[in-house]
Amino acid sequence: MKKIFINLKRDTNKWSILLLTIVLFIGIPIIIIFLNLIYGPGETWGHLVKNLLSDYLINSFFLIMGTSFFTLLFGVLSAWIVVRYQIPFRKQMQWLLILPLAIPSYITAYSYAGIFDYGGYFEKIFNLKIDIMNHFGLIMVLSFSLYPYVYVTTRAFFLNQSKNIIEASKLLGAGEIKTFLKLILPLARPAFIGGLILVLMEVLNDYGAAKYFGINTFTTGIFRAWFSLEELETAIYLAALLVLIIFIIILLEKRQRSRIGYFNTVKNHQQIKRIQISKIKQIIMLLFVLIPVLFGFAFPLFQLIFWAFLTFKEVLTLDFLHIAFQSLGISIFSAIITVLFALFLIYLSKWNRLKYIKYIAKIGILGYAIPGAVIALGVLIPTLFIDKNIILFFNNFLDTKIGFVINGTVLVLVYAYMIRYLAVAYSPIEASSLKLGKSLAETSNLLGKGNLYTFKKIEFPLLKPAILSALILVFVDVMKELPLTLILKPYNINTLAVKAYEYASDEMIAEAALPSLFIIFTGILPILLLNKVISKN
Amino acid sequence: MLIELQKLHKKFNKGNVIALSDISFNLEKGNILAIVGESGSGKTTLIRLVAGLETLDKGEIILNNKIVSSNSIFTEPQDRKVGMVFQDYALFPHFTVFDNIAYGISKLSSKKERVEEVLHIVGLEGLGKRYPHELSGGQQQRVALARALAPKPELLILDEPFSNLDIILRNKLREDLLKILKETKSTVIFVTHDIKDALLISDEILVLQKGNVLQKGKTKEVYKKPNCKYISLLFENITF
Repeated sequence: MKKIFINLKRDTNKWSILLLTIVLFIGIPIIIIFLNLIYGPGETWGHLVKNLLSDYLINSFFLIMGTSFFTLLFGVLSAWIVVRYQIPFRKQMQWLLILPLAIPSYITAYSYAGIFDYGGYFEKIFNLKIDIMNHFGLIMVLSFSLYPYVYVTTRAFFLNQSKNIIEASKLLGAGEIKTFLKLILPLARPAFIGGLILVLMEVLNDYGAAKYFGINTFTTGIFRAWFSLEELETAIYLAALLVLIIFIIILLEKRQRSRIGYFNTVKNHQQIKRIQISKIKQIIMLLFVLIPVLFGFAFPLFQLIFWAFLTFKEVLTLDFLHIAFQSLGISIFSAIITVLFALFLIYLSKWNRLKYIKYIAKIGILGYAIPGAVIALGVLIPTLFIDKNIILFFNNFLDTKIGFVINGTVLVLVYAYMIRYLAVAYSPIEASSLKLGKSLAETSNLLGKGNLYTFKKIEFPLLKPAILSALILVFVDVMKELPLTLILKPYNINTLAVKAYEYASDEMIAEAALPSLFIIFTGILPILLLNKVISKN
Repeated sequence: MLIELQKLHKKFNKGNVIALSDISFNLEKGNILAIVGESGSGKTTLIRLVAGLETLDKGEIILNNKIVSSNSIFTEPQDRKVGMVFQDYALFPHFTVFDNIAYGISKLSSKKERVEEVLHIVGLEGLGKRYPHELSGGQQQRVALARALAPKPELLILDEPFSNLDIILRNKLREDLLKILKETKSTVIFVTHDIKDALLISDEILVLQKGNVLQKGKTKEVYKKPNCKYISLLFENITF
């Protein structure tokens, strides 16, 4: 311990202090949630444990198992099919398979309620009535809207694999299926488990879909404790438990990854060769990859467009346009702030010479693992505390009565978005900056230039594509964010996501279509743009 | 004495790996020192400490009679007047050759002349408008060298200057480099794993093994009287 502090004075620079301040600013809500595990729950906790907790646990467990199975099934197999086999429309399927990501799962849930309703087109076509407002329905909704996370990571892994490994297996006498099961699947495990972790975080983050399907989960429980029971302590305690579960999942993943860390080691390799297969096999495989595209994207989209036609006259008002602009404005502003903080975190960490502050700085990017509802509560506690003290101060010393100063403003909302999506901006920028390497900045330093000048002249121009990607990714995420927004949004401000949720809660599901479509299109456009930016580089 | 290192220690990985232990040496102005060692010998760490790209655990580094690194002092790399050519050259890809070289020149008035001057020294006149990716490997290295020389550093560090070049180019560039370094009267530390580079270019040699100095002395003397088997083995099979 003594050794750590030997060079403390020498190695502390202005960047260390700035970094520590920023990490605290980002980390306080997260730290507060953890502290509440120690503090314990509020008065209603007993009631909750007796009546609801087992329900939350069982339902969340059931959802995790179900969505894990289906997202792996569709994600891994479709990735393998589009990489390995020459099927019709292969090129189109490759990116169509990503598109369900553009539809938030709560919106998919609303559309499913219409598709499978009495008189819905599933009944019209198949003359079959299926009740989907249950656990199984929710699992299907979440699976079809979230499998692209698994698909994208697994496909990227397959594209980076050398063909030699498959040819070696074939030469040893293994058939196509055996090669896939015994070789490809175990090799791809770190990749698809990585994607699966993202799926599970989204499942535990989901509020809108579970609420609409009437399934009690941890997240709906947090809302219940906060809005119905009005007990912040209990809500936070639930939140802390949820975060604990997520961290256990992440730790398990880290362990399996470190045990077998064999991503491809060969640098220059030939990609896996596509092989020709019979017409019948081609059709079967095409049909298989069509299932997630249809159920995750096409059917929900058609249902929404159909509803939008029925309702746009009532919904498309000046008020609606106003909300749309508010949504866009808040999302753009949040994206800029988030990217700015990601840059702070990455570069101040580099410029600071104290190792342990670098480790502490990692707290900053934990937000993405923490459900929106939990972050919202974590933000509420310190901001309420500050507001109370400001009010007290004005009351006692200036003899003026004032209301909340920061709570109920957009600033608190943007602060929470920044914490939640910091990792989304951090990853692409950090990856690009690692790719640039240290030597450019070091050269600039040795040529007599300071860190800020170096960043402005050398790093920023070279990082522009990554920064643009980061802006777009955060923008899309904020546009569709629901649980956090519901808790923190000011009264006088609304977002499209909340508007869609309100319509759906008021049994005006068809009216929810227009704001939903708007969110989806703002989500698709950047995905296409990003595709272009990435393929150009 | 331009540079003095006194009892330098450096550990990595939370103190488990000793990178350098008890390193001391001096270098006179205008001399060229070759640091020779295998990968993992600590040679790169040593030059990074001198440049101010790493912090030391114990010891002192004195540049021009001023302590720049110790347990209580750390001078930022931008304030050390040390130039460095990296193994991968680290040319700024979005700048032209001219802008790369002009980057470190602080006086606005003399910028253009100085760039022309160093371009002439490294033999790349007329290539100022090119971008780094439009140059060959050998040309890129010369640009990196020109860029490091342009602000007239007190000390020039070269990290494995020939490792990215093929053998034919290597032989020619050795001669050119020596000429340039002597012409500019530079004080140089250069790092190499190839003893031949060291013999042909340096005035002094320092042999590192696993973070320890095995021998340090005038190049000719070390060649004639290696003080241990490891070094005599290095000189085996070398012909000129």
